[in-house]
Amino acid sequence: MAAILAVENLVKKYGESTVVKGISFSVEEGEVFGLLGPNGAGKTQTISMLTGVIPPTSGTARIGGYDITTQMDKVKRLNGLVPQDLALYPTLSARANLNFFGRIYGLGGKELRERVDDVLRIVALTDRADQVIDKYSGGMKRRVNIAAGLVHLPKLLFLDEPTVGVDPQSRNYIFESVMSLNRERGMSIVYTSHYMEEVEVLCNRAAVIDQGQIIALDTIKNLIEMLGGGIIHIGLQQVDDALLAQLAALPAVKRATIAPQPAAPPPAKGEEAGIAPAPAYTIPAQGAGTIVKIEAEHSQQALLNLISFFSERDIPIVSLEILEPNLESVFLHLTGKKLRE
Amino acid sequence: MNALHVAINDLRILFKDRGQLMYVFLIPLAFIFGISMAVPPLELGDEPARLPVVNLDPGGEASQALIDGLNADGKVKVELYEQDEAQGLLENRQILNLLTIPAGFSEDTAAGRPVTLQLLNHPNADDTTTELLLRAINGVAQVSSLQAQLIAGLSQMGDMQATGSAGSQVFTPERNVAQAQSQFERSKTAPLVVVVKTQPQALGEAIQNPSWVQQNIPGYTIIMVFGISVITALSIYNEKKLGSFRRLLAAPISKAALLAGKMLSNYAMALILIAVMFAVSILLMPLLGLERVTLGNDPLAFVLVSLLLALCSTSFGVLIAAITRTEGQISAISSIGIWLMGFLGGCLLPPFVLEFMGLSAISKAVPQYWAITAYQDLMVRGRGLADITTPLLALLAFSAIFFAIGVWRLKFD
Repeated sequence: MAAILAVENLVKKYGESTVVKGISFSVEEGEVFGLLGPNGAGKTQTISMLTGVIPPTSGTARIGGYDITTQMDKVKRLNGLVPQDLALYPTLSARANLNFFGRIYGLGGKELRERVDDVLRIVALTDRADQVIDKYSGGMKRRVNIAAGLVHLPKLLFLDEPTVGVDPQSRNYIFESVMSLNRERGMSIVYTSHYMEEVEVLCNRAAVIDQGQIIALDTIKNLIEMLGGGIIHIGLQQVDDALLAQLAALPAVKRATIAPQPAAPPPAKGEEAGIAPAPAYTIPAQGAGTIVKIEAEHSQQALLNLISFFSERDIPIVSLEILEPNLESVFLHLTGKKLRE
Repeated sequence: MNALHVAINDLRILFKDRGQLMYVFLIPLAFIFGISMAVPPLELGDEPARLPVVNLDPGGEASQALIDGLNADGKVKVELYEQDEAQGLLENRQILNLLTIPAGFSEDTAAGRPVTLQLLNHPNADDTTTELLLRAINGVAQVSSLQAQLIAGLSQMGDMQATGSAGSQVFTPERNVAQAQSQFERSKTAPLVVVVKTQPQALGEAIQNPSWVQQNIPGYTIIMVFGISVITALSIYNEKKLGSFRRLLAAPISKAALLAGKMLSNYAMALILIAVMFAVSILLMPLLGLERVTLGNDPLAFVLVSLLLALCSTSFGVLIAAITRTEGQISAISSIGIWLMGFLGGCLLPPFVLEFMGLSAISKAVPQYWAITAYQDLMVRGRGLADITTPLLALLAFSAIFFAIGVWRLKFD
C-alpha cells in the first residue's frame, strides 16, 4: 500500500529551543495512525508543519506525493485539519461555519450544500445545524469542529486531540465518526492524543513522541507486547543491587530495576471520569521509599511470587502499583513518565 | 475570491453582534445630535477683546497714553508683544489682530505731525471683533491727538508770549479760544492720528470656521471610523484566540488573502458608517430645527476623502492587531487612543481652537486632523479636490505607514 504521508527528518526550532527533533514516519493510505505523547511533546508542532500552519526549520514530508516545503498549495487541498482548539465562529450557526470553511476550499452552490449536509450527518448534528454554536454543549462543538475539517472531503485528516473536554456521548459519536470515515470512505487519519485507550481502539499503528523525538513506532499490538506481561511498581524502604538481582530471579519476573519517581500531578481540567487510564491496582505510598520496577512475564504470577518473597524476609512493602500491559504503561516503560505529567 | 469570503464572514459576524452595531452607529449619532442641540453657537462674550499691540515708541508719553486709554475703555485689553514675536503669532493664527504704534509716535504727535496707527488683521479675524477694536482705537486715538494738538498749539502761543515779542500782546483770551476751536475743527477733517486697517496678503485668505453642526458630523464620524479599526483588531485577536486562524492557515488561502479579507470587511464597514452618519445627519438635522449642512460642491472630492479615511482606519486596525497581544491592550487603545487621537486631530473641538491651545503641531501628527480638515474644506469652505490634495496625500501617507508597520509586525499564530 502506498504511503499517503512520508515524513523525513522534520525539525522545528524556535531560537535555541528545538521542539521537534528530526522525526520520521509514514502513514499508509487508509490507515489510522496514532501520534502519542504528553502535552508539549511536539505533536501539535508536527501537525502544524504538515498542514502548512508553520514552516519546518528543516526536513520535509510528502503528502499524496507533494512536498510540503515546495508544494504546500497542493498539499493543503488533500489535508483536513481538526485543531485542538474549537476553531469555529461561536456567533454563527454550525451550517454557516461549515459553509464558510467549505467556500475557503473552493466549494460552492449545490456541491457545498451537499457536502455540508453530509458532514452534518457524519457528526450527527443535522437537526441542530441552524442553531448558533454558542448554544451547543462542549461535545457538540467538538463535533462541529470535526465537521469543519471534513467539509472538503480530505484524503488525509489530522485530528489533534479531538476529544479533549467532551462528554462520553460525544466521545462515542467522535469515535464512530472517525471509524466510519476510515472504513467507509477510506480516509487516512493521523490521530494525536494523550488518551491511550482512544489510540488503542482507533489506530492501526502509532508513534510515541516525547520531547520532540519518536521513541517508539510500531503497531499497537507490538507496542503493547514490548511490556510482556505487565509492570509492577513496588515501593520499598531500602533497595540494593543484591535485592534487585534476587527479584529478577523470581519466576514470572523478566527484569527488576529502580524506577524514576516523578511527582504525579492532578488530572488536567476537562479530563472526564473513565477516560484516564488508572493502574490496575495501587497501594498508596506511606512515606519515602524507592520504587522498584518489575517487568513481568505474567503480572499475576509475578505478584504472588513477589509477595511471598517479601513476606518470607519480613520486608515491608511501602506501595504497590500494578500496570496492565497497555499503551500507558508502554509510555511509562519507555520514558519513566506518565502521559499526563 | 477567498479574501471576499473572509470579508463577508466577518461582516456577517459583526452584523450578528447587536452590541457592536449599537456602539458603531448609535454612539456617534448620539454625540452628533446631542452636542449640536445642546451647545450654543460660538459668540463673543462680555470679556474685553484682546488687542495685541507692538509699541515701537516705548517710553513715549503719547503711546503710553494711548495704551492706557485703550485699557481704560474696558472694551479691549491690550497685550504688549515684541514685533518679531507678534508677527510669528499672527502668521500662526494665534493672534488675529495686531496694532502697531510706530516709532516716534509721541514726538510726532507732540510736534503736530500726522502719524498713522496700523491695525493688522488676519484673514481669519472675526469681523465683529475687528470692528470693535477699530472703534476703540479710533476713539482713544482721536482724543489723544486732539489733546496733543491743543497742547501743542497753546504751548506754541505760550512760548511766543514768554519771549515778550511784540506779537505777544495779541494772545487775548478770545484769540486762545479761537485757536482751540480751530484745532478742534482741523482734527475732524485732518486728524493727527489715523488708524489704518490692513490685511496682509502674506497671511493668505480667510479660513471660514465650522459651526458646531459642521464640526460634529465629520468629527464624530471620523472618531467612530477609527473605532471600527479596533473591531478589526479584536476580530484578528479572536481568530488567533479561537484557533480559527490556524484552521484557515491550513486551508488553501494565503496569509495575504486572509489579511486582505480582514481589511476588506473593515473597509466596507467604515464606508457604510460614513454614508450612514452623513446621510442621517443631513436628513434629520433640519427636521430637528438644526442647521442644514451640505457635503460641499465637489462630490467626487468628498467620496475620495471618505475612501482614504476608510483606508487609513483599515490600516490602523492592522497596526493595532500587530502591536497588541491582549484584549486589554486593544481595549486600552480603543478607549484612550481613538478618543485622544480624535481630540488632538480636532474631531471634538475644531482645529482652530486647538491652534489657539498651542496644539497645532501635534494635531498634524494624527490622521484625524487631515480627515476633518479635508471634510470641512469641502463642507464649510466650499473648496474642491484641487484644494485638498495635501490632506488627501497625508491620509494616504498615514495609511501606508500604518499598513507597513502592521504587516511587518503581525503574527498570524
